[in-house]
Amino acid sequence: MRATPRRLLTALALTPLLAGCFAASDGESTGAGSGAAKGEGRLRLALAVPPAKALSPYSNDATVLSKLSVGEGLTALDAKGTAAPALATSWKRDSATAWTFELRKATFQDGTPVTAQAVVTALGHAHRATPKPRVLSDVELTALAVDADTVTLTTKNADPVLPLRLASPALAVLSAKAYAADGTVSPVGTGTGPFRITRLTGKTKATLDRYDGYWGGKAKAAGIDVTWIADGTARANALRSGTVDIAEWIPTAQAQLLDQGTRHEVPSVRTDSMILNTGGGLFTDPALRAAARDAVDGSALVDSVFGGYADPAQGLFGPAVPWAAGQRTAVTGRARSATPAQVKSETAGRTLRLATYTNRAELPEAATVLQQQLEKAGFTVKQDVREYTQMEADLLAGTYDALVFSRVTLLDTGDAVAYLASDFTSTGVYNIAALKNPSVDRAVRAAAEESDTAKRQQKIMRAEAEILRTDAVVPLVHEKVVQGVATGVEGVTLDPRERALITLGTHRG
Amino acid sequence: MSGMSGMSSAHGTTLARPARWVAGVGRVGAGTALLTAVALLPWLSRTDPALTVLRARSADQDPTPAELAAVRGELGLDAGPFAHLADWLGGLPRGDAGTSWVSGEPALPQVTAALGVSVTLMLGALLVTVVVAAAVSARTVHLGARRRLRRERTGTGAAILAALPKFLLASLLALVCGVWLGWFPTGGWDGPASMVLPALALGVPSGAMIGGLLDQALPAAFHEPWAQTWRAVGFPPRHTARHALRRALPGVLPQLLPTVVALVGGAVAVERIFNIPGLGRLALDAAIAQDLPPLQTATLSLVLLGTVAGLLVQALRRALLGRALRDGALPALPRPEPATGRARHLIAAGCALALLALVLTGLLRDPLHVDTAARLLPPSTAHPLGTDSLGRDLLARLGHGALRTAAVALAVTAVCALTGLLLGLAPRVSSGLTDVVATMPAVLAGLLVTAAVGPSLWGAALAVCLVGWSPYAAQSAALLEQERAGGHIAAARSLGAGRGHLLRRHLLPALSAPLLRNALLRLPTTVLVLASLGFLGLGEQPPTPEWGRLLSENQPYAELAPWTVLAPACALILLSVLAVTAPRGRRQAAGTPTG
Repeated sequence: MRATPRRLLTALALTPLLAGCFAASDGESTGAGSGAAKGEGRLRLALAVPPAKALSPYSNDATVLSKLSVGEGLTALDAKGTAAPALATSWKRDSATAWTFELRKATFQDGTPVTAQAVVTALGHAHRATPKPRVLSDVELTALAVDADTVTLTTKNADPVLPLRLASPALAVLSAKAYAADGTVSPVGTGTGPFRITRLTGKTKATLDRYDGYWGGKAKAAGIDVTWIADGTARANALRSGTVDIAEWIPTAQAQLLDQGTRHEVPSVRTDSMILNTGGGLFTDPALRAAARDAVDGSALVDSVFGGYADPAQGLFGPAVPWAAGQRTAVTGRARSATPAQVKSETAGRTLRLATYTNRAELPEAATVLQQQLEKAGFTVKQDVREYTQMEADLLAGTYDALVFSRVTLLDTGDAVAYLASDFTSTGVYNIAALKNPSVDRAVRAAAEESDTAKRQQKIMRAEAEILRTDAVVPLVHEKVVQGVATGVEGVTLDPRERALITLGTHRG
Repeated sequence: MSGMSGMSSAHGTTLARPARWVAGVGRVGAGTALLTAVALLPWLSRTDPALTVLRARSADQDPTPAELAAVRGELGLDAGPFAHLADWLGGLPRGDAGTSWVSGEPALPQVTAALGVSVTLMLGALLVTVVVAAAVSARTVHLGARRRLRRERTGTGAAILAALPKFLLASLLALVCGVWLGWFPTGGWDGPASMVLPALALGVPSGAMIGGLLDQALPAAFHEPWAQTWRAVGFPPRHTARHALRRALPGVLPQLLPTVVALVGGAVAVERIFNIPGLGRLALDAAIAQDLPPLQTATLSLVLLGTVAGLLVQALRRALLGRALRDGALPALPRPEPATGRARHLIAAGCALALLALVLTGLLRDPLHVDTAARLLPPSTAHPLGTDSLGRDLLARLGHGALRTAAVALAVTAVCALTGLLLGLAPRVSSGLTDVVATMPAVLAGLLVTAAVGPSLWGAALAVCLVGWSPYAAQSAALLEQERAGGHIAAARSLGAGRGHLLRRHLLPALSAPLLRNALLRLPTTVLVLASLGFLGLGEQPPTPEWGRLLSENQPYAELAPWTVLAPACALILLSVLAVTAPRGRRQAAGTPTG
């Protein structure tokens, strides 16, 4: 009886001891990974999206491989968005459907040479992956090794953007060791880039060392210690407290708290827009769509919701698509918008169901601003805000009248047609606007078939005008990304496509 | 009298065996029901699991029918939920809990690693809880042991601490002790130092909750005849204090389960802020992606944890109360009615006035008017509490949200407390269920509700009611057990009192005061939990003002514009203090120990 309180006390006293053990052993195990690596010249990096599939290139994680310069494809995208040499030094189009690529002398991080056969293996695995990587979803690709450093690629249908496609991180060429029999792919120690992943700890950490055999020379940084921090405030805190040197995607609410010298903004290929459901409900009426388009003013969001880290929308494609502004086609022949009185009588008793999702913090705020703007135009608005996966099925089923939506306009092909085709054509699988417009379909198809780069860009902008004419989508803002870079760190790549981040020249000064 | 206690002891031993058996069946039943419900989740919900898995793997992938069919085929979704459940159960004895649908990696190592992290963090939080609870009740222990407890404590301090939103406390600690002062890491999980801030954020409100309950139970123990005798004999106060604690603790201990042990799966917000790879985040991510194997494994580990912790608490209580409980020789805790202090009336009146002023002035203003030019303005004459990130008047939003927030939270709390009381009356059947539900995160209930009835206004309340009753059931069961073991009950029974009479005249009156106190201390938590389910489409949709939402939507601006979170946090604290200090007529009825 008397011993009981003592036992209780002992148990309580043991608690911190036990806790200490747990935490210490965890610390040890993570420390061991970067053991010898701790030291001068290493970069500490906070990334936002934790690995979904153990850094498999056939998943969300693909961009991590390119951001950290681990994997490379046959080509890369340059600043203007055109294909540049990477593992391939040159290429030529033999016919509408056949291409020849010449490879450079390079070695994988496991020491094996990059050969034509290795490229064929890598592309073959990407092609057979289930589900197929997005970048290959609309193409049938066959690769053939001609000699040790020449590969021919043939497509079933003419594919003018094949070199752009090959720059996708999903098509990174990894050594034979990376591809397991069960279909999984591991980039750990199997890439060709200047940094080699030596260890991946679940969804929290990764350790990379410099790969000295890189064909392009030695990287300035000795290695990279990556931490995944999903919460934006926590990323900003890590940068501010000096725990990391680089933190990507600082939320706009936190950006203003960073020192002027540590925040670097870059226009992103993300455009936020309001999608109107043309397939059912209020917005089947073009006059109401026009009224909504007139009512909504995206520029009001720039300095408020986005804290200045956005540009007012010019169209579907913003400043991150450098050629768009110069070739923009004026939108003509739009429907006349209904006056507030007309809107009131037309919508009598029906509410506008405005949806958005919580995954991007700015969107719910933007929706509330838009609600007020729409109400001024005579609409009665009701919001529905949920996590994205909780509402995607409803979105595709057309349950809502309008959606505030953030969309990457240059998908991993680096080509704008894919986005227009999936989102706005009558056969598009991501056509939330339920748009079925023959002129739009024609314009997008014309752009898809054009192989001359300049003409293709013109046709894309013509398709943009066709889409905007329908008022199925009202562009609001073009987002900017804020990357947090500690003072003294140099050479961080600010990439609008969010594919590149750390390269050969990135280092702590 | 001795014969009587012998009789009830014999009675007790014959009951003990079937009781244990029934409780065991209850535990297994509750665990099975929960696991089955989770296993059905992807098939019940209107969202195709192939789509959510595809999104989790590759966000920009087009959801073409071919891709979805590929995912469905790969995962064998067409085989149906029961085939999957059987498969998963079949693998468990071999230590195989299936592979994650999203990552393709084995689920068990992921879950055990996260569980280890979360349990460690919970133990840290437990330590803080114990320290804070001790601090909260220290004054009562000190005075009580010296028989100087004249005035009832107002419990204001405990109410304030217990009303602190954990995620706000976490943000604040990360900012002040991490970023500004640099004392501790701002996040991560690299050794004991990174545990300090999250353990504080989780433990302080929990400690205040436990301490508040203990503080209320202690005076009765000090009023027992033995304490008076010991004092008269000249035993040292330390001795008296220790035994009074031993007397009051068993009634409070079961609260550790829903308050502290539940943090293993229910500390998602704090895990996020400190970037801790814990079980709460793992389970939530798996649930959102409908990634069944890790979700099931996480649920199973929570069920086991709840059961083990429940048994431990039970053993600890038995050890503290000892043979007196078994022999039915526990004297009834007399419920003294110390003079209600003036301080308490003053505090209650002050809080009521402040809230009334807030609501009245707020109601005169427009809570929805957005003015992007007036964003994040500090308090001024035009906007007495400042504006939020969209330039909306905070006073207006608080005032308009007050009634809705308070009404929903009170209603949910009342339903939970009543359900808990009813289940607590049948502890043998319900104890297993109580332990299992106590460690279940509310968001899991939210997902089940969304799957079953879709997103709705009442969904949040329903989801919280589904899991929120467990603290009250645990409390009722513990207090009833002690009460039933009282000599006065045996006396009443021998005088021919029926079960109804016992319940009405003795048991319920003994339960009502502690239950009420518990419910009121949990009121702010209820407000926050209700708001935390908004992302599932449950509850009020924006821009409707509601206190929990005000706190969460302004959290990112906590540093840039502190008033945006301070105002709703203070309002919540005012509500909580008012609830705890408000005069209650029923207490008099509860004060009469025996009929």
